[in-house]
Amino acid sequence: MASVTAALRAKEPKRTFAELDVDAKRFLAKSTVTLFATMLVVGFLLPLVFMVVTSLKTEQQIASQTILPKSTTTVDVTEGEFAGEAYDLYAVPFDDGAIRSLALVTKGREASTFIDPAEPTVPIEWEGRWRTLEPALVFDPTLENFPEAWDALDFLLVLRNTGIIAGLGMAGTVMASTLVAYGLSRFRMPAKKFILSSLLATIILPGFVTLVPTYAVWLKVGWVGTWWPLIVPHFFGNAYNVFLLRQFFLGIPRDLDEAAAIDGASPLRTLITVILPQAKGAVLAVSLFHFFFSWNDFLGPLIYLAGERSKQPISVALYDFLGLYDTAIPLVQAGAMLSMAVPILVFLFLQKIFLGGIDLSGSLK
Amino acid sequence: MKPKSQVNHLLRTLIFLSVLALFASACGGSTSSSTTSDDADSTTTDTVDDSATGDDAMEDEDAMDDAETEAEDTSDASDGDRTEVRWFVGLGTGSQDEQIDRQDAVVDAFNSSQDSIELVVEYIDNTTAKDVLATQIAAGNAPDIIGPVGLEGSNAFAGQYADLEPLIAAAEFDLSPFAGSEESYRTAEGALEGVPFATFPSGIFFNKDLFDEAGLPYPPAEYNADGTSLYGEGTEYEGDWTYDKLAEIAAILSVDAAGNDATSAAYDKANVVQFGFAHQWTSNPASLGTSFGAGRIEQADGSAQVPAEWVESYKWYQNLVHEVNAAPNSAQTASDLLAGNAFNSGNVAMASTHLWYTCCIADVGDAWDIGALPTHNGTLVSKLHGDTFRIHKDSENQQDAFTVLEYFFGDGALDLLDVYGGMPARPDIRDTYFAALDEQFPQGVNWDIIIEGLEYADSPNHQTGMPNFLEADARVKELEGPLLEDPDFDIDAAIAALEADLNALWAS
Amino acid sequence: MTIVFTGPDDREADGSTHRPLDGHGTLEKRERRWGLMFVTPWLLGLVLLFVIPLVLSLLMSFTNYELVDTDNQEVTWVGLDNWRRIFSDPDVANGLWVTMKFALMYLPISTLLPLGVAYLLTSERLWGRSLFRVLFYLPSMVPLVAAMIIWRFYLNSESGWFARLLRWVGFDPPNFLGDPAWVLPALILIGTWGIGNGIIIFIAALNGVPKELYEAARIDGANKWHLFRDVTWPMISPITFYNIIVTLVGLGQYFLVPFILNGAEGRPEGASKFYTMVFFQETFSFFQAGYGAALAWAMFIVVFALTVLLFWSAKFWVHYEFEER
Repeated sequence: MASVTAALRAKEPKRTFAELDVDAKRFLAKSTVTLFATMLVVGFLLPLVFMVVTSLKTEQQIASQTILPKSTTTVDVTEGEFAGEAYDLYAVPFDDGAIRSLALVTKGREASTFIDPAEPTVPIEWEGRWRTLEPALVFDPTLENFPEAWDALDFLLVLRNTGIIAGLGMAGTVMASTLVAYGLSRFRMPAKKFILSSLLATIILPGFVTLVPTYAVWLKVGWVGTWWPLIVPHFFGNAYNVFLLRQFFLGIPRDLDEAAAIDGASPLRTLITVILPQAKGAVLAVSLFHFFFSWNDFLGPLIYLAGERSKQPISVALYDFLGLYDTAIPLVQAGAMLSMAVPILVFLFLQKIFLGGIDLSGSLK
Repeated sequence: MKPKSQVNHLLRTLIFLSVLALFASACGGSTSSSTTSDDADSTTTDTVDDSATGDDAMEDEDAMDDAETEAEDTSDASDGDRTEVRWFVGLGTGSQDEQIDRQDAVVDAFNSSQDSIELVVEYIDNTTAKDVLATQIAAGNAPDIIGPVGLEGSNAFAGQYADLEPLIAAAEFDLSPFAGSEESYRTAEGALEGVPFATFPSGIFFNKDLFDEAGLPYPPAEYNADGTSLYGEGTEYEGDWTYDKLAEIAAILSVDAAGNDATSAAYDKANVVQFGFAHQWTSNPASLGTSFGAGRIEQADGSAQVPAEWVESYKWYQNLVHEVNAAPNSAQTASDLLAGNAFNSGNVAMASTHLWYTCCIADVGDAWDIGALPTHNGTLVSKLHGDTFRIHKDSENQQDAFTVLEYFFGDGALDLLDVYGGMPARPDIRDTYFAALDEQFPQGVNWDIIIEGLEYADSPNHQTGMPNFLEADARVKELEGPLLEDPDFDIDAAIAALEADLNALWAS
Repeated sequence: MTIVFTGPDDREADGSTHRPLDGHGTLEKRERRWGLMFVTPWLLGLVLLFVIPLVLSLLMSFTNYELVDTDNQEVTWVGLDNWRRIFSDPDVANGLWVTMKFALMYLPISTLLPLGVAYLLTSERLWGRSLFRVLFYLPSMVPLVAAMIIWRFYLNSESGWFARLLRWVGFDPPNFLGDPAWVLPALILIGTWGIGNGIIIFIAALNGVPKELYEAARIDGANKWHLFRDVTWPMISPITFYNIIVTLVGLGQYFLVPFILNGAEGRPEGASKFYTMVFFQETFSFFQAGYGAALAWAMFIVVFALTVLLFWSAKFWVHYEFEER
């Protein structure tokens, strides 16, 4: 930025702001707005940076409370009375103004013993508080937390579980929601208003109301402890998805399916051959939404897969992982990072679908 | 009776019966979900693959029914005619990652030691274990064996455990090595619901390096006959080892970034880098209170009154945490400096905790040892935790489950005790146990002082149950947060409110 | 109730009912049959997953059913006891108070913040608009539990980066998740990570305002504030309304964030014990499923009433360009 303004100044060195030509004014305004947005987004995403940086630390580095992963340089002493151990290096000031890099061998409150790594047999007594000394820090990130978190989470298994639950549910919700949305967008039927209201009502309904009885129902069926309670409900459709698809279907001109009907196609055939090819984007969006719903779904798997460690999806596995390792801060941050890798990658590749402004209100397009 | 009300009555009864029927089937149903986790896992995966080709929900349901029978078939096939016994681990210790493999080894050893029982273990993370077990029990899917579980976990599921006495009699299990200590597991109704397995007495874990750096003598290494002990004999710090003395030493051992200790006026409370003391994972109100004197909140007349010593201990700790700043508050405990495991960080000089803490102390290396607990008003209280295995009352295989317990108390005992860091409740195998611990911690830990603590065990135990246990316990524990978080917490007012709430709860 | 789903496109759908009937009753019947067939999955699901559990839950609320029987008590019919208890339970009062405080703080933020950011991101003076959209949406993609892992440590008042940042600019950071006065603001801060969808929707709404309207208003001499008040706001009010409904529905079910961070007991001192957590604690910690069912039903009734109220209020402030009926 500085070089750009410098260039501007070189071009028109003596003009005040008011005199700046329109281009330069717009340039300044753009810079200001962009700078503001940058600061805002940095603040917004700082927790993510915190996660990344923390996941690169060792537990010792955590305890030393530096912002970046930094380690104290240590010296292995092999001779003299302090042989056999590694000691931390500090920058030690002396009365004559010299600052020497010494290893701290015996800590004391007001006086400590150091040695010069070059002369490990000669102890140096130093008056002062060792805690006030600058330790010799080096930038020293580690990647070891990632394989460890990978193993502790049993990441591949968890990924497979999540994939199966999400994939089947996705198939179910796309199929059912498409059918229902098609029915609601193209056909006259009794009680259509009621059906639309019932969709809305299920969105408003707090899941807790039906939690215990639903559990009892699944239990009666004998599916508690399996994936089915997390998959089967999606084969009945989902209100959000129905609304979204219906909105898309309504936007597809009727002439097309009427033409198909005249050709003798059944409504189901019309749906598959005429409507769906036009609504690919919406179907993909519904699929993705379900994928993210599944990736995030927590209470369902927690309750239905309780105790079935080998069947758990990522959300519950990560929660258990946090419970087990919350004293290993870098490790849990690495685990959090692993768990978001897939959603973030999917998002970055398919961002258009997310950022395209899909809404359910239908009031704008 | 008027006809109309009769109709109403009939209707009511019908509705009620239908609800009951549902609940009954809910509690009694679900017979098929008890396959071993591996079997169930693989079969479900298979069906999932099958049903993925299905066209709609109905077909899936068919596939699912197949899956159920299939699952049962395979489990039968793989188990042979062995009875399956399910073991639930997680209410107490046992579900930490490093403990899982070692318990699996015990399970394998048991399964290969005989051919009539197939022991299957489920590990549930401690934070969700209670909810999970509740859900399983509600589902009529209760495990056979539950444990290791302490008194607290047991109280939460009061009424759910089987009386072991008939099983003990049938198996001719010898109780004599337990020297009567099993009586502590007898309920008010007279049922013997457990046999002591592991005991965890307490002591002061201390970091020798931090004492050396400060030039302070270590905490006392032995008790006098009356449980008192002397600190720093022959030094300028000599004095009775009381909680006041401990606080005094802890202040010297608390240091800020500039090297000032907590006795100095320059001590910077916002920049503490080393703390003198922590109640390590023992700061819940009953435990903290009992460090000053054993007692109960429930009085003989059924009313609630927090023992005076408990209140003193709260004030003592509040002062140490928030005034002296020689013990970490909750934010400091969770910070990077202490990372949730204060003593293990190497930045805390003394920790009052139980023997189970040997689980989680690796980072301190060989710098730690155990010293005497201080006294309050001349009395020593060494808080005691005890863990056992229990059998669920609805278990259909209680005999077989008890056969597993016999193995846990016999051949498998030392391995399991090692996993849990628990001292054998049976005195006859203690020496072998501590010999193994000495290999793990070669610095020569003073185990004797922690064993001696058994003679000063808290009675009544701080985990003794109370009426309406779940609600009452949750209410009591509400004290802990503000004590550790809020410097201006009014303890007396909070205690009065607690007593009022408990009285109201117990009166209803 | 259907008003929010009535837009320009919907008119076409309703238009179908105005199509001249061709007089063939059989054709009409056939259409009905096909239509009903297509919505069958939904109707089945409605009965199985909603109606039946709802009725069971209501029945359960009149019993003393326990999830785990710890006192050997028979399951009996207790009439309105559970419902009466709701009104005298201090936990419920506290839960409602916490939920209400949170809602009052969160509703404006969840509307104004995405709107503000959307305004910024649609500004012609911003370079790299699409990159910024991606970045602002990114946190919405972070799985909930992972987000909680991050925030829990990020907000630590000793070593978390937020506290360091505050200290760096000269504030003494409070113990965000441990101080009763700060836990709700902290939860709001965490809630800002969920504004991604709101931003996207508001961007679409702002882009959807016809440029001619601005031109016309500008010719009338309107300043920026007037432009916003008289043109932008009415034009985006349906979206604002939609956003408020979504937020309100979300608030009624708000549970996991405080649960994962501060436990079912709503540490510290119940300051984050939302109404939903009272339900969860009663049902799953105290095993009082009958009382829990009453609590859940009461919650449903309140959220339902609020939604109806909001839809009613929409008449007075939501501007529908294509008003009909």
